[in-house]
Amino acid sequence: MEIPEELKKKWDEAVARYEEKRAALLPVLRLSQDHFGYISAEVEEAVAHYMGTTPVHIREVVTFYELFHTKPVGKNNIQFCHTLACNLNGCEPLIKQLKEKIGIKEGETSSDGKYSFSRAECLGACEMAPMMKINKDIYGPLDKDKLNEIIENL
Amino acid sequence: MPKVTIDGHEIEVSQGTTIMQATKQLAIEVPYYCWHPGLSVAGNCRMCLVDVEGPPKPQIACYTQVTEGMVVHTQSEKAKKARKGTLEFLLSNHPLDCPVCDQAGECDLQNFYMDHGQYDSRFDEQKHKKKKAQPVGENVMLDQERCVLCSRCVRFCDEITGTGELGIVNRGSHEEITVFPGKEVNNAYSGNVVDICPVGALTDRDFRFKCRVWYLSSQDSVCPGCSQGCNIRIDSNLSRPQHGEGERVMRLKPRENLNVNDYWMCDEGRYNYNFIDRNRIQTASRVKEGVVEEILFEDAVDSLASVLGDAVREQRHGRIGVLVSTQLTNEDLFFVKKFFKTNLGMDAVESRFSFPEGSSDDFLIKADKSPNTAGAQALEVIASGTYQSGEDLIDKTIAGEFDVLISFGVDIDGLLGKEKLDAILEKVTLLAYVGSNHNETSKKAQLVIPSTVYAEKDGTFTNVHGRVQRIWPAFPPLGQARPEWQIICDLSEKTGFSVSADDAESIFSEITQTVSSFQGLSYEKLGKEGSLLSTVKETVEK
Repeated sequence: MEIPEELKKKWDEAVARYEEKRAALLPVLRLSQDHFGYISAEVEEAVAHYMGTTPVHIREVVTFYELFHTKPVGKNNIQFCHTLACNLNGCEPLIKQLKEKIGIKEGETSSDGKYSFSRAECLGACEMAPMMKINKDIYGPLDKDKLNEIIENL
Repeated sequence: MPKVTIDGHEIEVSQGTTIMQATKQLAIEVPYYCWHPGLSVAGNCRMCLVDVEGPPKPQIACYTQVTEGMVVHTQSEKAKKARKGTLEFLLSNHPLDCPVCDQAGECDLQNFYMDHGQYDSRFDEQKHKKKKAQPVGENVMLDQERCVLCSRCVRFCDEITGTGELGIVNRGSHEEITVFPGKEVNNAYSGNVVDICPVGALTDRDFRFKCRVWYLSSQDSVCPGCSQGCNIRIDSNLSRPQHGEGERVMRLKPRENLNVNDYWMCDEGRYNYNFIDRNRIQTASRVKEGVVEEILFEDAVDSLASVLGDAVREQRHGRIGVLVSTQLTNEDLFFVKKFFKTNLGMDAVESRFSFPEGSSDDFLIKADKSPNTAGAQALEVIASGTYQSGEDLIDKTIAGEFDVLISFGVDIDGLLGKEKLDAILEKVTLLAYVGSNHNETSKKAQLVIPSTVYAEKDGTFTNVHGRVQRIWPAFPPLGQARPEWQIICDLSEKTGFSVSADDAESIFSEITQTVSSFQGLSYEKLGKEGSLLSTVKETVEK
């Protein structure tokens, strides 16, 4: 796969920040995901070639982190926290409401590509419980009406 | 140099020695999965936890370095409990399919469970299902459920072959060994990942379901596949001939020799064993009026002896040529040379061939595909006079210089083609073939005498670096086959010369007394790892 020059340039900049090339793998993967939306097998192979390793070693890293997507995700990637604080504050009814509203199950992407939904372990914003994350923004504390409003404004 | 006490035994070790290495020196057994002497330390299986006085928690023996005055207990309650706990975790998702697993009988999950486990299962949860019986290369089968994620195979492909085909993907209990989609474990040493897998996750597709390992007998040997002479083990099955359709050799495994092959062997050598049991010449034969007929071994030897005897009496021995393969042992080569050159006074005894070179690399695989070329050189199994090489001798046979051509294992057809073989047959009155396997040359030779393969022989090979190494018979010869040195003894007796020996060892002792480069060697001195010829200075052998 041909990597666009602008992305290649960003990779080079990332690598230049570290003593060891290998250390730049996570930034390089994040830049790639920002560019393509997800990390395909072809991207893994291109990154492996660039980093001077084999594709399976890139896949090891990609599959270790939840933050990397191996399949395309919706324009709005909704991750709903269901760990302790959010759970005690009633995330379950809200998750049910969300799923009904956008019409997809956990781990799915809507056919129009607008939404993806998954449950997340603690996102570190317990003071906002119950909360969710859409792309890079976090929302909370949520209730029935707020959730509806946020989804409708997407 | 720090002193450490392990289970009450004090030992002084060099700086940087790990507890694992120290236990090895004391022959104290500590169980482990991920540690391997030929690979980097991963420290992930936690099976080698030992009780070190001082720190509150047990430490891993493979990574913890010995410090002055350290006291280690490998059998304390704390150590035992730690190992038991580790094993319980390692087995929690294991499928327990030992009845259909090739590794059963040589599996460290089974072995260590018997030594360190022996608990009642507390696991009520659903086990994770992963992929089973997944081919990941021509030789390797992967079962992800049996894997304990020790990463030995991953490190082998990264550190030894540098090919990096295997990896561990996903996280936590979903972790699994895999290849990248569309890629395979197809390096030239892939079979080694099966050897180092401590459990049944990687099994050998060639050996799969062929034989239960507890029916196997093992004999140490040396791979005859190239001039490197990697140390191997021949695993054969004689007690259950119904498995493997009566074939005796079930698999070859590398044997540790840090001077030659470390712990490894190449796939080319590993799977080169079918010739031991297949297509063998089992009886002597001759061509009479265009028809091949089987004859007694003794009659074949008589027949060749009388041709030789007549030639010597009539001073025609200069019209006999002998081709010698460097697949033969030093002992065989020495006797062939002694009989034909020293006793019969012949010039044309030749082992030098410019064989078509095979594949090679800068690790173990050598282009010269015979195991004893250096031995033939050291023993000077070469023609005197004007003969330059085996090919030269063959050309001169075709030019009419010889009436009789005797080939010890040299397949003229395979080496130089059908035309040369046919041209020889038109010129000579007798083409005799002494060999172990049928080929076009043996099929056309007028006299054929069966000889043994390396796996049936006692003797030595000299590898490309001048290291003389022992081979041992794994089982008796097939049919009438005998080692070449014995065939020489028989020929010698019939022709009235005194080339005789009781066994290969006595020939070797004769070699050490007559050939200066072998001086000072003995079978005892060679041991399991071999010794360098005295003419060879210690060099980097690998």
